[in-house]
Amino acid sequence: MGRLLLIAARNLMQNRRRTALLSAAIVAVTMLLVLLGSLGNGIQATLLEAGTAMLTGHVNVGGFYKITSGMGSPILVEAERTLKDVRELVPESAQIVDRRRGFGKIVSESDTVQGALTGIDATNEDALRGVLRIVEGSLDSLGGEDLSILLFQKQAERLKVSVGDDVTLSSQVVRGQTNALKVRVGAIAKDMGLISIMSSYVSKNVLRDLYQLDPDTTGVIMVYLDDPDQAATVKAKLREGLLQRNHRLMEDEPDAFYHKFQQVAGEDWTGMKLDVTTWEDELANVQWTMKTFDTITSLLIGVLLVIVIIGVMNTMWITVRDRTREIGTLRAIGMGRLRVLVMFLLETVILSTVSALLGVSLGAAIAGLLNWLQIPVSPGFQIFLMSDTLRLVVAPYSLVMAVVVVPLLTTFGALFPASRAARLKPVTAMQHAG
Amino acid sequence: MSDVVVLSNVSKEYPLGKLVVPALKEVSLSIGAGEFVSIAGPSGSGKTTLLNLVGCVDTPTSGAVIVDGLDTARLSERDLTRLRLEKLGFIFQSFNLIAVLDTFQNVEFPLLLQGKQSRKERREVVSELLERVGLDKHHHHRPNELSGGQRQRVAIARALVTRPRIVLADEPTANLDTGTGGAIIDLMKSINETQGTTFIFSTHDARVMKHADRVIRLEDGRIVSSGDIAPNGAAGSRPELSVQEGPAPYLAGE
Ligand SMILES: Nc1ncnc2c1ncn2[C@@H]1O[C@H](COP(=O)(O)OP(=O)(O)OP(=O)(O)O)[C@@H](O)[C@H]1O
Ligand SMILES: [Mg+2]
Repeated sequence: MGRLLLIAARNLMQNRRRTALLSAAIVAVTMLLVLLGSLGNGIQATLLEAGTAMLTGHVNVGGFYKITSGMGSPILVEAERTLKDVRELVPESAQIVDRRRGFGKIVSESDTVQGALTGIDATNEDALRGVLRIVEGSLDSLGGEDLSILLFQKQAERLKVSVGDDVTLSSQVVRGQTNALKVRVGAIAKDMGLISIMSSYVSKNVLRDLYQLDPDTTGVIMVYLDDPDQAATVKAKLREGLLQRNHRLMEDEPDAFYHKFQQVAGEDWTGMKLDVTTWEDELANVQWTMKTFDTITSLLIGVLLVIVIIGVMNTMWITVRDRTREIGTLRAIGMGRLRVLVMFLLETVILSTVSALLGVSLGAAIAGLLNWLQIPVSPGFQIFLMSDTLRLVVAPYSLVMAVVVVPLLTTFGALFPASRAARLKPVTAMQHAG
Repeated sequence: MSDVVVLSNVSKEYPLGKLVVPALKEVSLSIGAGEFVSIAGPSGSGKTTLLNLVGCVDTPTSGAVIVDGLDTARLSERDLTRLRLEKLGFIFQSFNLIAVLDTFQNVEFPLLLQGKQSRKERREVVSELLERVGLDKHHHHRPNELSGGQRQRVAIARALVTRPRIVLADEPTANLDTGTGGAIIDLMKSINETQGTTFIFSTHDARVMKHADRVIRLEDGRIVSSGDIAPNGAAGSRPELSVQEGPAPYLAGE
């Protein structure tokens, strides 16, 4: 075996050009595999970070209030009591905040934009503070009694407003009439991809006044955990606990709250029902970004891998043809078929393992470099990436995967030519010309 | 004398398109242990075919090939490989060494395939043999750093390293000049004499043939004369070759 390895290694060295070419291809594909993988991880990480700060807690207690059976509003009545129950039921929570939920138009003198209006108390929104990048004004303006709004850059540009200007919010309220309210732009934040296109933040009081709500109402109670993976467990615990404390609960439906309006409106009940969801439920619809990216990436990688496998196969055919006489000789002097097979496969194993290791190291290094350089991405991609600079997260397991999978596949490609070599009749091989 | 090779009514046909080329026709012969036999005949007469059948790298169309008492038709591919490794040695016209291995490693290779000996034992056996063929200073030369005669010596050492019963050599001197070729035959002969290894080699060259105990002549796939079995390697003399190479011709460098 040691000698076969030596033969394989030396033959690789002998055919330097062939080896270099193939190795370069394998290095490139492995590198790309790592880079695309870490880009995907980066998007995923950004998405979760941004998503769990902007759209959802790790576990949410939301729900709908229905005055008539035909229409539901995303309102929690008895906010204080419910908050207290949630606090008691999840004592291990890292933080619990509540937000109001609304939807409406933002109107300035020049234009109108439309989207979700989330009512927050900025004084306890640590996660949000962590991801929003304020370019003008201050998030604190959404923390007190003032009627303030935070706009994202593109919204502000479209409305042609800046901090200190007034805009008018208008929204349909429960009974079908439209209310309007004047608020002041308190902060402008950098765009955050998809999320920032259709939502903005207002101080809690804004929604109270816009919808003329009772002070003891809110929209959603968001529970943050130290370990987001515990969300499902906590959700189950909350559902059980809330039922015990005489809250009515909606059917468990793993979907975002804004997808549930229609269904709720169609159901035949009135009054208050709570809905407990995890961040995974709420982000299920944003995850398509990830899925799309993953699909494109997998396709690309798949095609590249196939090309490399064909390359390896082709090279192996050439190698086998070049060394047919040698195979005949070795078989004649008593080398078994299996050993011939192994001898040829070893070439591919050595080549692809070394190349894959190199590719993985290069890929990881380049990912690090790109992160460090903070490469800006074009606006089109910003929506997709949820970030204005390239962010790559290199997952160790994906490196290990690449180092295992790439050699496995290429060796698989070499199997056919190598087994042909091993099956050759010794005499046929020896008579081979060349 | 016990026969190490017996062929009875062996025919070999090669398919060539729609035609069938008869390469050997009903050949019967036996070769005793320790013989130094030459297969002679014009080009295309079937010498290589015959050696390939004896060497178990090819199978006859009909007839039986018995090597060291074993009917090769009854052996599996695996057993045939084993037989080649344990009982047979091969020397080729164009040397057929492993290009990426050096002299020592080429000779050692069959021992590694056998996997029976320790590193130390292998080292001893190979070194001794390389000294015998006059290559004790060339352990670490690769084949392309050796002359033709030197390469053939490596091949001889490789063929002998497993102490086979039979060594088959298909025109071992054809790619060498006369002097070097003579030295190679001398070397083979001396091993035949000292170790009792059976040698069967083919050649075109009348001068090489002279060294054989027995010359089997083929013509058009048939044996036209199988020579006399000389009792102790007395057929033929080799003074003229020895003179060219000096007293120990197989030790001479190129
Ligand atoms: N693989 C093959 N396919 C078809 N015909 C073959 C094949 N190998 C040998 N032959 C034919 O069989 C006959 C015997 O060939 P063989 O190689 O045994 O002759 P040879 O005596 O070794 O000749 P040479 O002295 O030229 O090496 C020839 O007519 C040759 O053309
Ligand atoms: Mg021939």
